[in-house]
Amino acid sequence: MVTLRDAYITGTGAFLPGEPVGNDRMEDFLGRIGGRKSVVGQRALRWNGIYTRHYALTPEGAIQHTNASMSAAAVLASLQDAGLGREHLQMLATATTQGDYLVPGHASAVHGELGGGALELASFQSVCASSVMAFKAATLSVRAGESDCAAAVASEFSSRWFRPNFYEGTELLDDKGRLSMEADFLRWTLSDGAGAVVVEPKPRPDRPSLRIEWIDLTSLAGRFDPCMWAGSTAECRADLKSAWCHDGPRVAHTAGAIALLQDFKLLKVIFRAVLEVYLEKVDQGRIEPDSVDWLLCHYSARSLRQEIVDLLKRTNAMIPEEKWFTTLPSTGNVGSASIWIMLDALIKSESAKPGQRILCVVPESGRAMVGFMMLEVVG
Amino acid sequence: MSVAQDFNRSAIPANMAQDEAVAHVLRKLALVWTDFEGRLQAAPLIRKLTRGRFEVADYHAFLINLRQQVKDGSLWMSRAASSIDEAHLELRSTLMKHAVIEHRDFRMLEADYVASGGSLANIQRTEKNIGSEALSAWMFHEASKPNPFGLLGAMFIIEGLGSIKAAEWGRLAQRRLGLPETAFTFLLYHGENDTEHMQEFQEMLRLVLPDESVAARIVTCAKVTARLYALQIEEITP
Repeated sequence: MVTLRDAYITGTGAFLPGEPVGNDRMEDFLGRIGGRKSVVGQRALRWNGIYTRHYALTPEGAIQHTNASMSAAAVLASLQDAGLGREHLQMLATATTQGDYLVPGHASAVHGELGGGALELASFQSVCASSVMAFKAATLSVRAGESDCAAAVASEFSSRWFRPNFYEGTELLDDKGRLSMEADFLRWTLSDGAGAVVVEPKPRPDRPSLRIEWIDLTSLAGRFDPCMWAGSTAECRADLKSAWCHDGPRVAHTAGAIALLQDFKLLKVIFRAVLEVYLEKVDQGRIEPDSVDWLLCHYSARSLRQEIVDLLKRTNAMIPEEKWFTTLPSTGNVGSASIWIMLDALIKSESAKPGQRILCVVPESGRAMVGFMMLEVVG
Repeated sequence: MSVAQDFNRSAIPANMAQDEAVAHVLRKLALVWTDFEGRLQAAPLIRKLTRGRFEVADYHAFLINLRQQVKDGSLWMSRAASSIDEAHLELRSTLMKHAVIEHRDFRMLEADYVASGGSLANIQRTEKNIGSEALSAWMFHEASKPNPFGLLGAMFIIEGLGSIKAAEWGRLAQRRLGLPETAFTFLLYHGENDTEHMQEFQEMLRLVLPDESVAARIVTCAKVTARLYALQIEEITP
C-alpha cells in the first residue's frame, strides 16, 4: 500500500509587468475603441475597487512580454525564493485563461521559455480556478511520490484581448459606435501578471513553509450557462455548435464571438451558487471560520460584497474582515494569477505566523466553479 | 470595525443560544435556496428566458401556472395561522397579516395576462399542473398540523423567489418580449427590499427557536417546498 506524503509550499513568486498603471491611464494602454472614451469605465472601477494594475503592453500597444514568459519569470522567482533553481524542477503545472497560442498547450510554451532539461507537464485552461487545478496536480504529484519538486504557476495576459481591434468592425458596437457593457466591463476589470508556488515533500529547514492541508474544487457547470466566455456571441453561447471555429475566425470576429464577454445577470446567480459551496463546507465542518487566521479571496465586483457579508453574517459563516488579505486594489484582478500574487505578498510581508491557517478561495464565473485551499504555516 | 465583530459584540449572552440556532437554520436554508436556484436555472422555461428564446406563449404559460399557486398561498397561510396555539400568538398574527397582504396577488397575474394579450377566462379556468398540485397539497397538509412551524422553511423559499428571482425574471421577460411594464406588474412589484424581508423572517425564527426538532422541520419543509416548486416550473410547457 502506498502512503501519501505531506506536501508543503516552500517558495512563492510573482511577476507583474511594467509600472503600476493608475485608473486615469488605463485607456492609454488598452486603447480607445473608435477613438472614443469608454462610457462604462468609471462605473466599473467604482465596482471593482482597483486603483492600479499592470499591463504587459506599452501605451502604444506593443508587446513587452508573453503569457509564457511571465509564467516562466514567476516560476523562476518562486524557485529562487525556495532556495532552488531550474535544475531542481521535476514537474510543472500551468494555469491560464488564454495562452499565447491556440495549440499546443500553455505548459509547453512555459517550458520552452524556461529552457533546460525534461519536465513532466500539466496544462490547465479555465478561468481563475485553473490556478487551483494546477496546484492540485502539482500537490498530488508530490504527495504521491512522483516528484520531489513541483511548481504550479498561473498567469494572464488579458490586456491584449482588450485592444480596439478585438471590437472594431464587430457587432459588439452599437449604431453610435459604443461598446456593449458585456464586452467593456472586463476591459476595466482584468489585467496582466503571473504567480507561482513551489511544492516539496518537506518544509524548509530555515524558515516557515506552508503545509497543504487540503485542496477542493467544485464545478457547477451542469446547471449554468457560460457566464464569462470567448468563442460565441451572447445570444448563442449556450449552444456549443455556435463555436467560433465552425465559420472561421473572420465571420466569428464580425459577429463579436472572439472577444471576452461577461453576463452580469448570471454572474449574480453564480455568485450565490459559489457561496453555497462555501456554506456547505462550513456546515460540514470542513471550514471552521473561527480557525481561519487569513482569508485570501480574489473577487472582482465590490458591489457584491455587502450582499455577501450580510449572508455570511446571518449564517455565522463570516470570517472577520480584518483577517482578509488582498492586494486587489494595487495589483488588480489578474484572473488565475491573483491568488498566487496575493499569497506571495502575504508571505513576504511576514504577517502570517507559524501555527496560523490560511484559507484561499478562488471563485470562477466562467461557468460556475470555485476552488478552496487550506494551508497551515509551519516551521 | 468589521460587520462580523459588530454582530458578535451586539449579541447579549442570554440570546447566544438563540442567535446560534437562528444562524444555523439560516445557513441550512441558504444551502437549500441555492440548490433550488440552480435547479430552476436548468428548468426548460427558465433556460428559454435566460437564453433569449422566451416567447409570449411562454410568458402566458408561466402566468397561468403561477396564478393557481399564488392564489393558494394566502389560503395555506391562513390555515397555518389557525393551527397555531395560544402560546405563539405573535407568529399567528404575523402569518395572518401576510395572508391579508398577499391574498389578492393572483389578480395581478390575471391583469398581467390580459395586458400581454391573454383572455381573463382562459387564465381563470386553467387547471393546476402536476407540480402545482403536489405543492398545494403539501402546503395544506403541513398547514393543518398543530403548530406548523416548519412552514417557515416554505415561506423562506417562496419569499426568496419574490425578493431574489421575480424582478430579475420580470426584467428579462420585458426586455425580450418588448411589452409595456403593465404586463409585468406581478414580477416587477415583487423584487422589493430583500433586507427588510430577511429581518422580518429572522424575527419569525426567533419566535420558535431554539428548538432542535422545529429547526430540523423548517429545513425539511424548505427542501420539500423547493423540490415541488421546481417541479411546478419544470412542468410549465406552452
